[in-house]
Amino acid sequence: MSYQAKGLQAWLFQRLTAVFMVLYILYFLVVIFSTEQMTYRLWVEWFSHPLMNTATGLFFIHLAVHAWVGMRDVVLDYVPNDSFRLTILACISFFLIISCLGMLRILFSLSLTI
Amino acid sequence: MLTTRKRPKNLDLLSVKFPMSAVMSVGHRAAGIVLFLSLPYFLYLLQLSLTNETGFELAKAELQSPWIKLFSLMLIWALAHHFIAGIRYFFLDLDIGIDKAMAQKSAIIVMVTGFLIFAICALLLL
Repeated sequence: MSYQAKGLQAWLFQRLTAVFMVLYILYFLVVIFSTEQMTYRLWVEWFSHPLMNTATGLFFIHLAVHAWVGMRDVVLDYVPNDSFRLTILACISFFLIISCLGMLRILFSLSLTI
Repeated sequence: MLTTRKRPKNLDLLSVKFPMSAVMSVGHRAAGIVLFLSLPYFLYLLQLSLTNETGFELAKAELQSPWIKLFSLMLIWALAHHFIAGIRYFFLDLDIGIDKAMAQKSAIIVMVTGFLIFAICALLLL
């Protein structure tokens, strides 16, 4: 794939992930504000529901992709030193992958309990 | 023949005009970085709240502490600004509101809405 096409891909990913996250966040806020008293039981039942469980998992994957494209842009803009830039980019991607996997693990274990 | 000409570097930011759209754009970027950096804390809170009943109460209590309230207030602004500015960019990508006057106006709307959401949440939380 050519270098230019990669830039276009990043741009497209940024938008597509944003659309999904906007929908998820709006749904999340509607539920939070329409629930009188959020209890542990309600909270866990909500996140254990197959649809919400899957949507939340997808949300974190989209968040990781979105954050990766955004942070990569920022680092490419402001860090001119090659080795330093590579190190920071590696740290960011490592952190995003680890936290995404960690979150998916929690969601998966939650889906097994009920 | 190729000639390498030294290009002028201007580091005096005060000599550059910053229209509202530029301020909004910087805010969008800064908010994105802040949200990224706050990610571990909120992943920790979500994990804590989902593990067991005591964890849920602990997470709830933690969100009630004054410093965390200030911190989350800042994040509410960051999310609101990033969210609304992102929607503006989406419309710009679709060639809607692309002319200069409209873009300036929508930038002001983004800034004001972000601060309004921040102010309302500040009144509700504090």
